[in-house]
Amino acid sequence: MKKHLLLTIPAVFVFAACGEKDSGSASSGGSSAPGGTPGGVKLVTELPPELIEGTPKPINEPNLVQAPTAAPEFLVPDGTVLLSKGKTVTASDDMPLIGTLDLITDGDKEAGEGYFVEIMDGLQWVQIDLEQSAEIAAIYVWHFHSQKRAYKDVIVQISDDPEFKNGVTTVFNNDYDESAQMGKGSDAPYVESRFGKIVDGKGTKGRYVRLYSNGNTSDEMNHYIEVEVFGKAAGAAAP
Amino acid sequence: MNSLPSPINRRNFLVRSAGAGLVLGAPAILRAAEAPSKTLNLALIGFGKQGKVLFEAMSNIPGIRFQAVCDIWDYNRQAGVAKCYARQKERPNHYVDVDEMLAKEKGLDAAIVATPDFWHAPHTIKCLEAGLHVYCEKMMAHTIEAARDMVRAMERTGKLCQIGHQRRSNPRYRYTLEQLILGNKICGQIVNINAQWNRAINSSQDIGYKQNLAIKPDILQKYGFKDMHQFMNWRTYRDLSGGPISDLGAHQIDIFNWFLGTAPNAVFATGGNSHFKDREHFDNVMALFDYDTPQGQVRAFYQVLTTTSAGGGYYESFMGTEATIDISERSAYTNIYRESSAPSWDNLVSRGFLKKAAAPAPAASDSGDAIKSYESAAPEVYQLPGDLNKPPHQPHLENFFAAVRGEAKLNCDARHAFESEAPIYWVNPSALQKERIILTSEHLSV
Repeated sequence: MKKHLLLTIPAVFVFAACGEKDSGSASSGGSSAPGGTPGGVKLVTELPPELIEGTPKPINEPNLVQAPTAAPEFLVPDGTVLLSKGKTVTASDDMPLIGTLDLITDGDKEAGEGYFVEIMDGLQWVQIDLEQSAEIAAIYVWHFHSQKRAYKDVIVQISDDPEFKNGVTTVFNNDYDESAQMGKGSDAPYVESRFGKIVDGKGTKGRYVRLYSNGNTSDEMNHYIEVEVFGKAAGAAAP
Repeated sequence: MNSLPSPINRRNFLVRSAGAGLVLGAPAILRAAEAPSKTLNLALIGFGKQGKVLFEAMSNIPGIRFQAVCDIWDYNRQAGVAKCYARQKERPNHYVDVDEMLAKEKGLDAAIVATPDFWHAPHTIKCLEAGLHVYCEKMMAHTIEAARDMVRAMERTGKLCQIGHQRRSNPRYRYTLEQLILGNKICGQIVNINAQWNRAINSSQDIGYKQNLAIKPDILQKYGFKDMHQFMNWRTYRDLSGGPISDLGAHQIDIFNWFLGTAPNAVFATGGNSHFKDREHFDNVMALFDYDTPQGQVRAFYQVLTTTSAGGGYYESFMGTEATIDISERSAYTNIYRESSAPSWDNLVSRGFLKKAAAPAPAASDSGDAIKSYESAAPEVYQLPGDLNKPPHQPHLENFFAAVRGEAKLNCDARHAFESEAPIYWVNPSALQKERIILTSEHLSV
């Protein structure tokens, strides 16, 4: 039996990791083979409750991946921990329209008012400083899940360069029409949900994680509720 | 009932994109380039969810300046200031209280009111009396008497008051009424109407908020809310709103009355709390309206269900002897079905009034137990020749601003809105009393 990943704090994580059935955790789910690191441990995090408001707007994106109906299953190397909690976030738009950038790493993933940050329209990025280089196993992203929508030009990059000029690795890119002019992506647009989106970090080394988006299918703005970066800090002791 | 102040013909629908906001592929921003004759100074009163929707719809409209933002919640107010600044690089003044705003702000031309329903009448009347033109979200008010007060205030002050029944300015709806129903009479005699707005349970949950952002209790109470839950979820409280028949149904029942050109003479409704048992308003309501029109009787059925998405979302269906028009704010739900016995529409297609849809896939063969001789031939499916590619509220706001500049007539002023909304105020009483209500001038007039 595979071990579950034990994170640093909240009791709910431990609760889920002990194998108790918990619909509010991401420790179990789909029937297909889990992604991530073969032979790894299940990535576990707390999932927010579903809270959808209003009438959905049409989503016209090609090859759209519908929202999952269960928590995704993803394997990460043993010893992987949450690196991003409480870490500093910067952005291309340093004056958010709603909320503050620290909401992105505050651990709250709920859908209601006050949990998300809204930044300007157009191609914008947010960047998390992990404070030291790390081997990144996964980036777990919740843009906005109180309405079914898809964000455009979602690009996730890792680097040790805070300017993202050198040593940049792109680990996710669904800019299918190259509108962001950062290279055409082969990943698919996806519908937001409370289950979030897991991006495979593939063990990429870097101190900074930068996430781009370019509006969404409901409005032109960019939103984040939470981003969690999982991995092993450089020099972390083997489990 | 409302007249048609600015007729839209087929050519307009296809070509007059700058004015009508219509489509043929060009991005909406290209059509927002008309130079306004005067910059209008606006106050945004209420910057919650609907306030933000209206703001986004105004973001492509030239010739407006956001001078002030008013909201009792810091969270909304700060968002309003930030969004205005991002758009115009000028920070608007901001207020908690409308009275203070009206006392201090000079040079305002108009107010956009998007506060909870029970504040619509006080805020609208204060602004009208302060000399501002007002765009107020629908439903006009939480009581019919408050709505009457709004009409009286508009007429007393001589200021403009547009009510946010935004379909009245939607080219899809205007074209359908003016060109297809009235102009070419493609429905024949309209005999029935069916409409719905159904939402799944998971889309009807209470709205949450982060606890550390809660408004102080004394502020909440000063502005009529007993607590933060009521502030966030005022639509579920009887003293603050009309509930789902008002929030959602008003948009569509307005279309019944607008398209038929008359109000119903009776309503019978039923409702209850099938799932959300703690809510003061019914979570499901069904209503039957009876109309006498110059063409004959029309019966209309409307349902608003907040517990299921059954039946495919929201639309209105006008059923006639020669055609049925399904129309919605979503173009995907808009189709026109010609009865097999109706005159050919080839001429309408060749002249560009309609386009013929691809033939639907044949129905799967059944088991043979159906009595086919009782069935009618399948109707042919047609579609509109153009579409709206702006946010749905934008044309209605554009109409308001054009009227303020003296360049247009309002598509839904408070009097016409009242005439259309008045029957809706009697739906909940009918459902509560479990009685059919005969609607007289006493029920329907100001």
